[in-house]
Amino acid sequence: MTRVGAAVAVLLVVLAALAAYPLVGTGYGVRAMLQLFMWIALAASWNLISGLTGYVSFGHVAFFGAGAYATGILVSTAGWPWPPAALAGGVAGAALAFLIGVPCLRLKGPYFAIAMLGLNEVLRALISYFEGLTGGGNGLSLPTLQATTPVYYAMGLTALLVVALTHAVITSRFGLRLMTIREDEVAAEAMGIDTFRHKLYAFLLSAVGPGIVGGLAARDQGYIEPMSVFPLATTITMIVMVLFGGKGTVWGPVLGAVVLFVFQEAVWARFIYLHQLLFGAIIVAVVLLMPRGVLGLLQMRYRLPRTI
Amino acid sequence: MPLLEIARVRKHFGGVTAVNDVSLALEPGRIYGLIGPNGSGKTTLFNCITGLERPDAGTIVFDGQRIDGRKPNRIARRGIGRTFQVIRVFPELTALENLVVVTRGARAEAEARAVELLRLVKLERLAGEFAGNLSYGQQKLVEFVRVLMPDPSLILLDEPAAGVNRTLLNDLLQAVARLRDRGKTVLLVEHDMKVVMGLCETVFVLDHGDKIAEGPPGAIQSDERVIEAYFGR
Repeated sequence: MTRVGAAVAVLLVVLAALAAYPLVGTGYGVRAMLQLFMWIALAASWNLISGLTGYVSFGHVAFFGAGAYATGILVSTAGWPWPPAALAGGVAGAALAFLIGVPCLRLKGPYFAIAMLGLNEVLRALISYFEGLTGGGNGLSLPTLQATTPVYYAMGLTALLVVALTHAVITSRFGLRLMTIREDEVAAEAMGIDTFRHKLYAFLLSAVGPGIVGGLAARDQGYIEPMSVFPLATTITMIVMVLFGGKGTVWGPVLGAVVLFVFQEAVWARFIYLHQLLFGAIIVAVVLLMPRGVLGLLQMRYRLPRTI
Repeated sequence: MPLLEIARVRKHFGGVTAVNDVSLALEPGRIYGLIGPNGSGKTTLFNCITGLERPDAGTIVFDGQRIDGRKPNRIARRGIGRTFQVIRVFPELTALENLVVVTRGARAEAEARAVELLRLVKLERLAGEFAGNLSYGQQKLVEFVRVLMPDPSLILLDEPAAGVNRTLLNDLLQAVARLRDRGKTVLLVEHDMKVVMGLCETVFVLDHGDKIAEGPPGAIQSDERVIEAYFGR
């Protein structure tokens, strides 16, 4: 109990420090932390579907983009304030996940991965096509607004909620059932688990966070266009963060996001050309040396509880 | 009324007829054996019963309701549990989680029941170990007790004795006999004839997808068609 108490205390101190940070931090610092929160929310969301069920989503940035456009349109055309518009971005993400999940989650692993890759490209094309609503290739501008600090808090809260959701899922039997799909889908079915329904629920949950975060990012940047909100690189980054930290764990995505984000910021600033090469090298090293990620490795060696 | 009634079930794979017009009925509270040479259609028949394969023809009625062509998870929840010839535990779930995951209702109750079942096969000390780290025989036992977790009325066991050492095997056979005594119905595929003869009340024999014999173990052993199927003419 004391160990749990200590962990909770540390967590509260970190949260308090993060809450106070905008009062003392520089503009660059606040903006960087805001992005870190975004990556935590994205990585943790990807982990909910792909880390737990093993169904690799290669197009998860589609939900980010859908959220960004839903929010962007609601703010710039319908005149909504950004907080409810960002929540609507989450709804848009979930709605898209439902439309895609119902047919695609019946496909087995690798086919699902390819279908998701296609989805992202289709969405990008659709956004460009419906110019009247989305501004097409010219992009969409949101009314100017200085909101970095409120967006910082909103982004942080979203990241916190996604991690809390992950904790709730992984420590529940629902979470264990999701893992049985990754471990052996046929056996799961034979044991009475409705694998399709479980995959769909996980997929819906995994799309809400990216939708909200996409909306918040749109508000923060003030301008979105198809190339900037649907980059495949964003999905790849989420995947690498989760693989590095430990897929299927609560804190793995957080650890991966923090380490890789700090690394990227540090290296990118110094070696502008080298950083992509180094990032690629990390991917290869992680996959070869610790396919389970840092926490996965510790989990196997020391039998950590699922709450890690 | 039989618990399970299979009527003229047929299943093809391309040009191969894996199960050919097989009919059989299982009465509640009995242990049945399903034997036959490799490739005679035993596992395919299991797959048809549990919904992993859809029969091309015929009907399967369980507990008064048609189940052929239903989804596996639906059939399982009606009360049919099975193990697999090749072990299918969930390796990165602990032994305890392997059992708890297939239950609904209060979790504390499920965990208590899971521990009790692990004790039955003397694995309670390994409850917290990942199933993938257990030995082959231990994994087999985890799979066996996992089937019992949802308390199914019909239990299909695909080669439960293969790879399990003698001491454990006796425990396992006793456990199967106790299931029968509690009113469960068991259908087991097994190559170990001692197991089949000692445990089963009725034995079905498949050969090239056809049911060639049915009867008490003693009669089956001396049946000419059965001997021919196993040893050739």
